[in-house]
Parts: sequence; structure tokens; C-alpha cells
Amino acid sequence: MALSGMRGLSVFISEIRNCQNKEQERLRVDKELGNIRNRFKNEKGLAPYEKKKYVWKMLYIFMLGYDVDFGHMEAVSLISAPKYPEKQVGYLVTSCLLNENHDFLRLAINTVRNDIIGRNETFQCLALTLVGNIGGREFAESLAPDVQKLLISSSCRPLVKKKAALCLLRLFRKNPDVVNVDGWSNRMAQLLDERNLGVLTSSMSLFVSLVSNNHEAYWSCLPKCVKVLERLARNQDVPQEYTYYGIPSPWLQVKTMRALQYFPTIEDPNTRRALFEVLQRVLMGTDVVKNVNKNNASHAVLFEALALVMHLDAEKEMMSQCVALLGKFIAVREPNIRYLGLENMTRMLMVTDVQEIIKRHQAQIITSLKDPDISIRRRALDLLYAMCDVSNAKDIVEELLQYLGTAEFTMREELALKAAILAEKFAPDLSWYMDVILQLIDKAGDFVSDDIWFRVVQFVTNNEDLQPYAALKAREYLDKPAIHETMMKVSAYLLGEYSHLLARRPGCSPKEIFGIIHEKLPTVSTPTVSILLSSYAKILMHSQPPDPELQNQIWAIFNKYETSIDAEIQQRAVEYFALSKKGAALIDILAEMPKFPERESSLIKRAGDTEADTAELSAIKSRAQQQASNALVVTDQQPANHPPQVTQLAMVKIPSINEENNHVDQEVTQTNGSMGEGEPQNGDILGDLLSPLAIEGPPGVSGTETLSEDGALALAPVGEQENAVKPIVDIAEIFHALCIKDSGVLYEDPYVQIGIKAEWRGHQGRLVLFLGNKTTSSLDSVQAVFLSPSHLKLELSSVPEVIPPRAQVQCPLEVVNLCPSRDVAVLDFSYKFGTNLVDNKLRLPAVLNKFFQPITLSAEEFFPQWRSLAAPPLKLQEVVRGVRPMSLGEMANLLNSLKLIVSPGLDPNANNLVASTTFYSESTRSMLCLVRIETDPADRTQLRMTVASGDPTLTFELKEFIKEQLISIPSASRPAVHQQPQPTTQPISLSDPGALLAGLL
Amino acid sequence: MPVSASAIYFLNLRGDVLINRLYRDDVGGNMVDAFRLHIMQTKELGTCPVRQIGGCSFFYMRISNVYIVIVVSSNANVACAFKFVVEAVNLFKSYFGGAFDEDAIRNNFVLIYELLDEIMDFGYPQNLSPEILKLYITQEGVRSPFSSKPTDKPVPNATLQVTGAVGWRREGLVYKKNEVFLDIVESVNLLMSSKGSVLRCDVTGKILMKCFLSGMPDLKLGLNDKIGLEKEAEIKSRPTKSGKTIELDDVTFHQCVNLTRFNSEKTVSFVPPDGEFELMKYRITEGVNLPFRVLPTIKELGRTRMEVNVKVKSVFGAKMFALGVVIKVPVPKQTAKTSVQVTSGRAKYNASMDCLMWKIRKFPGQTESTLSAEVELISTIAEKKSWTRPPIQMEFQVPMFTASGLRVRFLKVWEKSGYNTVEWVRYITKAGAYEIRC
Repeated sequence: MALSGMRGLSVFISEIRNCQNKEQERLRVDKELGNIRNRFKNEKGLAPYEKKKYVWKMLYIFMLGYDVDFGHMEAVSLISAPKYPEKQVGYLVTSCLLNENHDFLRLAINTVRNDIIGRNETFQCLALTLVGNIGGREFAESLAPDVQKLLISSSCRPLVKKKAALCLLRLFRKNPDVVNVDGWSNRMAQLLDERNLGVLTSSMSLFVSLVSNNHEAYWSCLPKCVKVLERLARNQDVPQEYTYYGIPSPWLQVKTMRALQYFPTIEDPNTRRALFEVLQRVLMGTDVVKNVNKNNASHAVLFEALALVMHLDAEKEMMSQCVALLGKFIAVREPNIRYLGLENMTRMLMVTDVQEIIKRHQAQIITSLKDPDISIRRRALDLLYAMCDVSNAKDIVEELLQYLGTAEFTMREELALKAAILAEKFAPDLSWYMDVILQLIDKAGDFVSDDIWFRVVQFVTNNEDLQPYAALKAREYLDKPAIHETMMKVSAYLLGEYSHLLARRPGCSPKEIFGIIHEKLPTVSTPTVSILLSSYAKILMHSQPPDPELQNQIWAIFNKYETSIDAEIQQRAVEYFALSKKGAALIDILAEMPKFPERESSLIKRAGDTEADTAELSAIKSRAQQQASNALVVTDQQPANHPPQVTQLAMVKIPSINEENNHVDQEVTQTNGSMGEGEPQNGDILGDLLSPLAIEGPPGVSGTETLSEDGALALAPVGEQENAVKPIVDIAEIFHALCIKDSGVLYEDPYVQIGIKAEWRGHQGRLVLFLGNKTTSSLDSVQAVFLSPSHLKLELSSVPEVIPPRAQVQCPLEVVNLCPSRDVAVLDFSYKFGTNLVDNKLRLPAVLNKFFQPITLSAEEFFPQWRSLAAPPLKLQEVVRGVRPMSLGEMANLLNSLKLIVSPGLDPNANNLVASTTFYSESTRSMLCLVRIETDPADRTQLRMTVASGDPTLTFELKEFIKEQLISIPSASRPAVHQQPQPTTQPISLSDPGALLAGLL
Repeated sequence: MPVSASAIYFLNLRGDVLINRLYRDDVGGNMVDAFRLHIMQTKELGTCPVRQIGGCSFFYMRISNVYIVIVVSSNANVACAFKFVVEAVNLFKSYFGGAFDEDAIRNNFVLIYELLDEIMDFGYPQNLSPEILKLYITQEGVRSPFSSKPTDKPVPNATLQVTGAVGWRREGLVYKKNEVFLDIVESVNLLMSSKGSVLRCDVTGKILMKCFLSGMPDLKLGLNDKIGLEKEAEIKSRPTKSGKTIELDDVTFHQCVNLTRFNSEKTVSFVPPDGEFELMKYRITEGVNLPFRVLPTIKELGRTRMEVNVKVKSVFGAKMFALGVVIKVPVPKQTAKTSVQVTSGRAKYNASMDCLMWKIRKFPGQTESTLSAEVELISTIAEKKSWTRPPIQMEFQVPMFTASGLRVRFLKVWEKSGYNTVEWVRYITKAGAYEIRC
């Protein structure tokens, strides 16, 4: 060794080794570093020997883990030394201390190149090792051609060639774009003809890398690979030193087979046949032996061969042979082999249809579930899960259930999940599914995630036949003395929902059911208590005619929980109590839950996630994903107001606000609908229409259709044209609808749906935007920015950057109205789908009328106000032309829908309308607004409008707002629905106030 | 009282266990392996005295070449544990009569086991006073009860001693020559900016006593501290003398000091334990007399050269002198060569501490001494970070000088028999963290 000559170095090393602790070592190292610095600075007196010695010391110190940040210059300069010992340490230290980004390496490139193209083999090897170890871009750029030349030159010895191949491999891996491999297929083919197995192994490594990058170019090498395999399989011409435990170069075999897997198929029948012969030989020839090393080597070859067989889609016979072999493997005692056997069987299952053959080994696999080694148990579980189908589901699930009792805790959750999924997927009948799941919850309640029991409830709700059976089962489980909380939840839910189906059976009267559930109440946790309360409410509802005793009992409970510290329980108690006092209405509200929309089982989705964790093989992964996507049953069009998550079971139709909104919405649309009915579409009017409109401006008002189109066009968001993604709803139409509704869809395109829900209180409003991702991939760079006009203060909580697949994000938004204005806030919503940037500018339905509070005034209140607001600017009057013709009733409905409440009978003239409302803003506070519209029965296209309020701006804005509404009526508000009885005919009142009003006007 | 130790280990620097004692069962016997693996053999050693490994806390401190490690698994009182270690080491030292190191432990392990049994019980510290422990843990051989010669000395009654009013002093002591030694030891902590303005300065001092007095003497100590002098002036109804008065902060006394008397009369009066003890500790933050002034100029000339000039002035009395002065002038890590000239002492580059070590054995008062050095640096590949310029550190001892100006005004000894005593008083000032930024 070169060290033998350097006494200083050995002394230093022994001193370091003799250090008793880290501190002493550090002191010694620091001292030595100081010494080295001193020596290096003293350039003139440094002999090559000393330089070498100090660089070795530096390396030793570096290896001990200390920072060495100087002296690289010396190390690099040693590379160009003429003698081997100096050159060696130079190369060694350079490759250890420097990485590819250091500038010092530039100094070395030329020397390294000279060594590579030089004649000295040892120096060539040193240089190639350095290049391979560092492998930076600059090295690749300047040295790759030389290395390539070296690799294919005929004069090189195998030793150099091996290093050259590996060096090139490294350069190619690091910078595939820099190393030029065009036209290398011929050279590669030449290299694969090499007889020397060492060179061949190195070249094969390079080849694997090249093929993985681009297999197209290397078709010509494929037969050569097969030849190599043949040669090895027949053990021809394999020197002794490349035989490992009697196996001819297992490394080369594995690499060759790995390379073959990068080619999609093998077309040439001869090659294919030859290859299969080899594979056959491998499959036949491998057995389990005593020697561990031999086993490892032969199994490495075997499993690679199996992978190749799977890849090539061999004929069934060969597959069954493989399975038989694996079956033998999983039966041996050696755990490693068993593990590999199970794992490969799972892989096998994914790729080919050998399920039937694998099923023969089911018993053996089930025994593996009881193996002492956890990794084997996991593999067995995976395999069982994968191989399960309708025919063996019952056995496997029962086996899993049995195993659940003894499995370790870390595995139980996964086990429970898998059992639940299999039971759902392959249930031969519904009651069996119910049995299995309830058994599962009973046995492993702690490990049953909420998803599982949510799914049960979904399942039962959607299958009517199952309901009585489920209720009965739940009842049975409740009889047990101690049951798990999850079981309590399911049972309570099921009994609350469906116990009335059992009413005829003994011991199943509502009272008894209540008693049995209530018994458990003290033992359960808070979330469960709320479910129990819901159950009580349901039971109460189902016991018709009401049983006073039961009613009192339940009321007492509700009363008790009205003061509960938990807000959820308290709310439920209060609400149920109030509801249950309503009598008949209770039945409607607490009616049975509707069916859940069919959707992807969340369980399967979760299983997909866990599988992605456990499975290492991409093939399995992709396959699993495919399966998952097959299982998808997607509901694209969900109602806008649908509760965002179906999994959150609400027993009663809880989202009360939503429901109310729905009712209101329906009413509104109905009232709106009534307007469309009596639409006068006669030519006369059209003719009349034309003249004033020509003056007014908006062209082409030939009918409502064009009008709304026109409106839509005019309202089309700016910049929408550049979007590749078109909304699938009419944004303008929706906007108009939302002006008079409080919730609905604001925007929808193939990827995204934005829902909105608003609550208005005085001058403040609270909106929630529901950003829903409809796709199965996540949406990036989501942005929502408000361009708010000056009169509104908007506060949007942060919008997440990314919306996960199929998820809905809620963004609450606070709106404060500062002063009256008709301007509209614009939401700039953009997101990225794939590479498309979709950007939409959407108007936010926070319009003037949202800040109205309906108020009905009597004549006594109205007239003093009207009189006090006598003149402009508080009271403005305008004659409006080009009004869309509508009857008085329609106009009254329109005003009502805008929350301008028409007070019929105030005006003596039947053709006139008087409306009032209260407007809220921060500047004006609450402000009474009064409107009077005088129509001309002869010409419905024109009217006279008088608006009065206590604020000049408000008066003006309100006037303009009503004008806008009267002129352009969106078509959305006119779906022809049934006519709503509406007091269209206004009783002519001859009372004094009317006369007064007439006089005033 | 909280638990302070579940086990105590004494390790040498390599991590071998010299002695250990388990006090509670909540830690395993192999915990020390964890300490060795995770602390001693890593760079973390010495960075933090309390570390947690796998639910157990390790408190360790190094004393000469021994690591003392306390292991606890519960929420222990750390301060109590460290105080225990310090006291235990003092106890051992008083038993061994001198150094506490690996050899001392090996030579006295039976005694140490005996003491360890006594000074802690089930993790709770017990009496650690050497005077009392020496009563019943003796280093003499045990006399067989069958031996003919009866003991001439009465067996000391330990219980009575420990529970008595003056638990720290045995009765019936007789010395031929009654002597009292009193040392005032102060250490100066200083942080000074390069411009010479004082950023932080305080003195921590302690008064150490050694008594060889017969009987039960009552001692009274008078210092030139402010409270005492004012009180005295008040009692004697005469104005305070013109001399300088010192304001003491954070005074702590040995348990023998009569605190009621201190509160009422502001005098330190006490019945001293026999032998050596620490009478009081104090701190002074104002009116500190700095013994040295340091004026550094360090110039970085380009990336590879530096010029260092340090001038040190002694500002105490010309008749006094400082001993063992060491000035550590920091230099960058990549220092390669240095050439140093000094007007007195010797200076040398120390690579493992990254500083120029300037040593002066004797530094007379009212003189000055300079160091000028040229430092050559080696270029490195590390990103050019400007050197952090750590402060210059100084070590010294100045006998017969107190940085606080504290003086003993009187030390009165009163005993029933009225013997004469000889009182010896010494002063010494040492450097604590004496740092000057450069």
C-alpha cells in the first residue's frame, strides 16, 4: 500500500485512533489542519512527497466528517503528476472532495482527457473512474466522445473497456442530452457480441439505460440479448470466474432480462421461441436449495424471468407453470422465499388471468396470513384482496373476519377496510353483506373508520329490501351487553330510520326500541349522543298515533339536552323539541331519508390510496388505478344546493337554510313563471315597440328571445373568448336569476362548478362560494379575485391554490354595502386545467335589491312620507319608454321579486302601482324608498315612474335600477310554469288616501 | 420535593462506567449506553447539559476527566439535580482530600458507594454536608466488638447532631492555635465594544472561610458594603465615613449565618462550621474597577492577509501585579501562517482554538504591553463569508485586588473562653468572561 512509505500519515492516523473522545479528536484534527494550511501556504518548500502526504491527511480528515475547504488546488495539481502514487491520490481526493459544480474541476479536465486518450492503462482507469464518479455536465460535454471511442476501440483491454462502459453509463444517466448516442445501436450490437463476460456485463448495464430511454433505436440488439441469454442458459463458454454457485453470471442474466422488458414485444418468432426456451429452462431449473447465496442468485434470475414472462404475455401453459412454481415457493419454510412468492403471485394476478390457477393455492395463502412475519402477512392480505372474486368472496371475507380477531393492531384498519370493500364488491346477497359488515364493526369497532359505516348507511338507504333486515340485525346487536360505539352509531341510525318496519315483531315496538337505545346513552361519546337524539326524533315521528308516554319521555330528554354544553347536541335537542311540537308537520320534516346519489364508494377510493402506498410496482399501481376508475360511478350533475358531502349523514334534512332557500327559490321561480303566461305577443305591440326602441338604442328587439341573447352577449365576461374552456351554462342568464334568488349555480364548465349561497341582513351580506372540482385530477393555480366597486366592501377568505379531485371548497365572503350604487362587483376566477389557463370574469349577484328589506306600508304611513319627500333630488320622476310589455300583475310580481313590495289599493288608479321597501347601506342606514309606477293601458311600452327616498343618490340609483329591470327582462325569469295565484286585479279603492295620492301626483 | 435522580453514573472520557448507582427502578440499567451512543460519541457533547433520549432525561457535567450523568425518567428538578452533583463533588473532594478525577474515583470506590447510599434516598437528595457525614462515614477501620481495647472517644450521636440547633458544627472542638482564614474571590465578567465602551460588566464574588476554632465561637464580619455601614451609622448616630461604600446585589449566605440578626442589625454574624466553607456569595453591577483595558485593531487586507494589533493596559495599582494572563486574539479558521511580535510574554497561533494565544506570566500594574501580528490566510472553496470576528478573550488573576472595591473592615471572634484568634484575609480577582469585541 502506498501508505507504508508515509510515516507522518500513519502516525497521525494512529494518534487520531488513540483519541479517547470526540473532543480530543477534534483538537488533534484542528491542529493538523492548521499545520497543513501552514505547509500549503509555504509553496516553495513542498516536495511532491509532502504534498501527497498532506493530501492523504486531508482525505482522512474529510472521511472523519470534518469540513475541509482548502487544499483542493493541491489535490487537483497532483492529478498531473507523472508518478502513479501521486496521481492516484490526486484522482481519489478530487473525486471525494469536489463535486461537479466546483470550478476547480475545470482545471482538471484537460489532464483527465490526456490520461484518457493516453497509452497508460492504469491512468486511463483512474481517469475513467473520476469521470464516472463526478459525471458533471462539463465532463460529459468534453469527455463523452473520448470515452465512447475508448469503449469501441479494438485495442483496449477488457479492464479499460469495462470502466469505459460504466463511465459512459454514468454520464448518460446524469446528462442524457449531452451524451450523443445517435447511431449507437450498431455499436451496441457489436458490444453485445463481446465474448468477455465482464465487458458484456458492463455493456449490458449501459444498454439497459439506453433502452430505457429509447427502445426504438435498439431493435437490432434484441436478438443479441437473446443470444447472450441462450449462451448463459446453456452454460457455454462461461469462464469459471463468472460462475457463481454453479449459475453462469446471474448478474448478466438479470440485466439482460431487464433490458428485454423494455421492448414492448418480440415479433420475430424464432427469437421468441429461443427466448421462451431459455425462460422455460430457467423456470424448470430453479429450485429451493440449502445454500442461501445460491438461492439468492438463482431466485434473482428466476424472478426476473417471471417478470419477463408476464411482460411477454406468454401462453397459458407457461403461466400456469409459473404459478405452480410460485405455489411451491409459498409453501416453503424460508420466509424470504415465501415473501417473494406471495409478492410475485400478486403481480401475476394483476397482469394476466391466471386467477383460476392461483385459486388452487388459496388454502396455502390463507395459512400465510398466520405467518409470524408481518411482511408476509401483509403480502398474503394483499394477495387475498386481489384474488377475491364472486366465487371465493364468501370464504375469503369470512377468513379475513376470523383473522381480524388475532391480527396486530397496525394491520387491523387496513384489514377491516379490505374486508368491507370485498364484502361490498362481491356480496352474493344483500343480507350477507349486512351480516359481514355488522360482524366487522362488532369485532373491530376501533379499526372501522367512519367511511365504512357511512357506506353501510348509504347502502341500506339505497336498498329498500335490505332495510327491515338491517333494522332487525341492529336490534339484535343492541341486545348484547357491551357493544362498540361505532356499532351503537349504526344501530341507532338504522333503528331510527327503519325500526317502524319491524313494528309488528315482538319486542320491537317504538317504545321498546327507544328503551333499548336509551339504555346505552350514558355510555356513549358526544358525537354519538347527537345521533341518538336524531334517532329519538325519528322514533317519535314513526310512532303514529303518538304514544303520550313515549312522547313525554323523549321530550324530557330533549329538554335535558337543551342546555348541553356541546353546541351540536344543544341545537339538535332544541330543534327536535320544537319540531316535535309541530305535530303533523313533523312527519314531513323527519320523513325517511331520500336515496343517496350513486357515487364512488369512498372505501374503494381509500383502498386505492393505501394500495398505492404498499405496492411498489408500477404495473400494479396502474392496474389498481384502472380498477378504481372502473368502479367510479360519477354523478356529474348534482343539484346546486346539494349538501356538499353525502358522507356526512344528516338524518333529518338538516341543512335548514338550504331547504328554506329552496322553497323560496321555487316560489320565486313560480312567481316569475307567472309573468311569462300572459305575455302579449301580438304584432300590434311589436309594431309599437319598434319605434321607441329605435330611439332608445338596443337594436333587434323582436322578441324576448333576442332580448335575452342580446343581454347575454352584452354581459359576456370580458376576455372569455380566449378561454379554451367554455362554460356550459349561460352565465348572463344565471346572473339574472341570481339577482332575485339567494343561491344557485354561478358558473359551470366541464371542470368546475361554482355555486353561491347568500344571506343578506341589512346592509351586510354573507356569501359562500362553493368551488367544486368536477374532474378526477386536481385543479391548480386557482385564484379568485374581486374587482369590487367603490360602494361595496368585500372580504374574501383565502381561496386554496389547489382544489383536489372531486372536491368542493367553500369560500365565505363578507359583503358590506357602503352606499347605494348599481355597479356590480366582478369576480375574476381563474384556474389551470392541464396546461390551459381558464380565466372568467363573473358578475357577483350583490346587486342593489339585495340590500332591500321588504316592507308593507299602510296608507297612513305611506302618504306622510310621500308628501315629505316633495321635490328633486329626493323625488325623481321619469317617463320610461321601450318597456317590455307586461300586464300589471306581471309588473307587480317583478317588483315583488325585487323586494319592492307592492301595496295594492293605495293608488286609486287601477293602472298604477305603488311599492315600498327599505334600503340598507352603511352611509344611509335604513332608508325608506317609495315607488310609484303609472302605466298606460293603451301603450304598455311606456310608463311614468316616480321614485322617492331620503337620499338623493339612492333615489337616482333606484330609479335607474328599476328602469333597467323593466327594460331588459332576462328570459331566465320566465320559464313557463304554473300560474301562481297572484292578486293581479287590484281592487279599486275609493278611500281617501287614494284620492290624496292622486292629488299629490 | 421533586425527584432529582433515578440513577447516577460516573463515566470517564471514553464513556466507560466508573461507578453507578440506581436509585429508582424507572430507568433501565443500560441507559448509560444511550448516553454514550447519542451524546458522548457525537458532536453534541458539551453543547447542552440536559438532553432527552427516548423518554429519559440526561443531566451531565464534566468535572476534570469525569462525566457525571444523572438519569431521570420523570419530570425532575433540574436545578436541584445539578446542585446535588456539585455538592456531591465537593463532598468527595473533602473526603479524598484534593482532586476529584478518574484515579480518585478508582481508588475510593468503596467510600463513594457508601456516600452515594447516604446522600440520596430513592431519588431525593439528603444531607450532603461533609462535616456531618464525616461523623459516621469514616475512613477508619471498624473496630471489632470483641477487641479488648474500649473506645476512648464517645461515639458521636449522629441523630442529635443532624437535628440540633447548630447542625453544622460539632461541640467540643479544641485547637491549639485558633486561626481564621478569609478569602474574597471575585470574578469579573465584561463585554466591551471595540471602541472601548462597556456593554456589560459585573462582578460575582464569594467569601470563602476556613476556621480552626475551638468551642462554639460566634463570629461577626464587617464589610464596607452600603447597607451595613448605613445601619452602623444609624446605630452609632454618627455620619458615615467618607470611604467608598459598595452596593451588594443578590447576597446569599451559608446556612450558618443568623438571618434574623442580619435583618435587624445588618451584620453578618454566625457560628462557623469547622473547616472550609463558603460564607456568602454576592454580585456587583455598578462601580466595577476593571483591571485591564484592551485596545484591539484588526485589519483585513484582502482575502488572504490580516494585520492584528492589540494593546493591553493594566489599570490597577502599580505595586500589584497580575498572574497567568492569557489573551486569546481570534483569527479566521483558514489561518495558514502567522508572524507575531510582542513586547512581553509569548504568543503563538493555536489552530484548534482558532486564535493567537498570548501568555504573560506576570503583568505589573500601570504598564502596557502590545502584540502585533501578521496573519496569512489560505484560500478556500467555501462561499466567501465574511469572518464573524469573535471577541478577544482574557484570563488573569490579580491578587490583593478586588474589582468591586470590597474590603473586610473587621472580623470579630467571640467565644466563652475568650481565647485569642489569628485572622488572615486575602483578596483575589479573576477573569470570568472577560471579552472585548474587535
